[in-house]
Amino acid sequence: MAITQFVVNGLLVGALFTAVAVGFALIWGVVDIINLAHGEMVMLGGYSSYWILNFLTGDAEGSVTLFLVTIPLVIGIVFVIGYALQRILVARVIGTDIFLTLLVTFGISIAIQQLAIQAWSANPRAIQILFTDPSLSVAGIVIPKMKLISFIGAIGLTVALYVFLQRTRTGRAIRAVSQNPEAAALVGIDVEHTRAVTFGISSAIASGAGAFIATILNIQPQMGLIYTLKSFVIVVFGGVGSIPGVFIGGLMLGTVEELTAGLVSSQWTLAVSFSLLIVLLIVKPTGLFGEETA
Amino acid sequence: MSASESDGSGLFRSLISPGLIDQLFSFCDDHAWTLLVIGTVIGALPPILGLKQGYYMTVISEMFLFAILALSWDIIGGQTGYPSFGNMAFFGIGAYTTAILTKDFSIILPIAMMAAAGVAVGSAVLIGAAVLRLRGHYFAIATLGVLLATQQVSRILDITGGASGKILLQTPSGTVFYYFFFTVLVAEAALVYYLSNTRFGFVLNAIRDDEKKATAMGFNTTYYKTAAWVLSAFFTGLAGGGYSLFNTFINPQTAYNAAWNVELIAMALIGGSGTVTGPIIGAFGLHVVIEYVETAFVGWQLVLLGLVVIGTVIGFPDGITGTLKEYASEMKYYERGGMAATDSNDSAEVASDE
Repeated sequence: MAITQFVVNGLLVGALFTAVAVGFALIWGVVDIINLAHGEMVMLGGYSSYWILNFLTGDAEGSVTLFLVTIPLVIGIVFVIGYALQRILVARVIGTDIFLTLLVTFGISIAIQQLAIQAWSANPRAIQILFTDPSLSVAGIVIPKMKLISFIGAIGLTVALYVFLQRTRTGRAIRAVSQNPEAAALVGIDVEHTRAVTFGISSAIASGAGAFIATILNIQPQMGLIYTLKSFVIVVFGGVGSIPGVFIGGLMLGTVEELTAGLVSSQWTLAVSFSLLIVLLIVKPTGLFGEETA
Repeated sequence: MSASESDGSGLFRSLISPGLIDQLFSFCDDHAWTLLVIGTVIGALPPILGLKQGYYMTVISEMFLFAILALSWDIIGGQTGYPSFGNMAFFGIGAYTTAILTKDFSIILPIAMMAAAGVAVGSAVLIGAAVLRLRGHYFAIATLGVLLATQQVSRILDITGGASGKILLQTPSGTVFYYFFFTVLVAEAALVYYLSNTRFGFVLNAIRDDEKKATAMGFNTTYYKTAAWVLSAFFTGLAGGGYSLFNTFINPQTAYNAAWNVELIAMALIGGSGTVTGPIIGAFGLHVVIEYVETAFVGWQLVLLGLVVIGTVIGFPDGITGTLKEYASEMKYYERGGMAATDSNDSAEVASDE
């Protein structure tokens, strides 16, 4: 019974990891960089939602509806930040050494993180959502309502991104740039703009997930790196450039982490997921669902 | 290329011409060992001349420490082209080794130091067997993961004192550490300089430029890159071994300091990675700046570090040494006829290489 509970918890959290990781995978696929500042977008999302709620209600507490209203605002704010970062900073190192692209995003990550500490202190914060009855119980398995809402929200964000990429004109442009930037430029796509939009959208999805994370876990300025690394693990699990792969990878990572935490100790989750990653990288570097192309 | 950074500097150009810089470089190349000896003597003097234990001695010792770390990173990151984001793992391993050995087993310091380097080398061999198979993005993130995993392990174990760490009371004086870090730095600089002119160094650079070609030429690249990785871990571990006692305190945050992890890469990059002097100059310069900001504007030093990293990567990714070398080579370029000397075939080739 306990194991079923762990698996359910894992799936609930895993959906949030997925929503964070799809953006990471998208930037990797389209702009061809590893965005080490991706976790900071999660953090910014969490804090934006926190401060908006704080502004509306006086303290970071509120009903579900009020919280959900903050999400579009958060997404809008972080989209602009992401767009600007790509346009002003990251665009300058694209096509140079991989190491330089890694370092510039690492630099962005530190700068944002440290500014956040200066602005909001290093104390963890959380958004309190008020319920009359906080948990559901189905066949002996406890499901906190907020976790369920986050789960649905995270899946909603992921699906929305997928549909956006498949159906809209901008989505098609993004996919075109990812396949061949030069050919995309030839048919009249503004490659620089498209890359910046990709960066913005990826950051925005991560920030939406961050807002949900603020309600069920907590947020603090230095949380970003862990989410960046988790995204990396998930994307490698799922294979670069495959949103369904990332989806399954995220749920898997969530489950593995909750099982480790439940059966061994929560201290070992990081070590276990990284050991898995290294084994997977050596055995099957293209990921479980990835294509053979590099 | 170099046009953008030299166009606006007419005054600079007339004061310090490319030829002068070029002469400086060739002078340094010709007399490298002499300069190293002179540097060693100058570096050894301050305590003899009466530099007392205290703030300045600590700062200078830390400058040496960071130079060791940056230079060690450069062996694997700059010379071999494997951008490690996990070098601090070996620092932490070394630091905990001496802390545990001297405190819990009362082993004398020199042996504990050697053990620290030994344990770091042993872990490097094991970790290297896994991560050195990876390249590019994957290698970078895997090493970052190694760093976080080792930090997590030291937080869990009992022998490391868990999250609260270990306090070390019986430590030698600051002068001992001054000379310890200084000796290690000199030894490392000499070794790296020596190696950079041997077959070993050339193979490392070949791996950086094109690993497949290096393998195709018959070099056992796995052997060479593992050797570079282990060498890097050896000096990092040794520095870590000294640090825990120097600092008199060690916990998972200080031993696997994430900020230092970026600092040492930034130092190597600012100075000019792939050279011997570059990382040392970068370490001395950046540490002084960070130390100043840390005292004058508490808490802002890491914001600055992030901005410095972004600025260096975008502004002059070749670092001080690399940029100066390019500036110096302009002279030769014009002596040989500049653009006119390059026929169209060559420039077409250059363009297609981009």
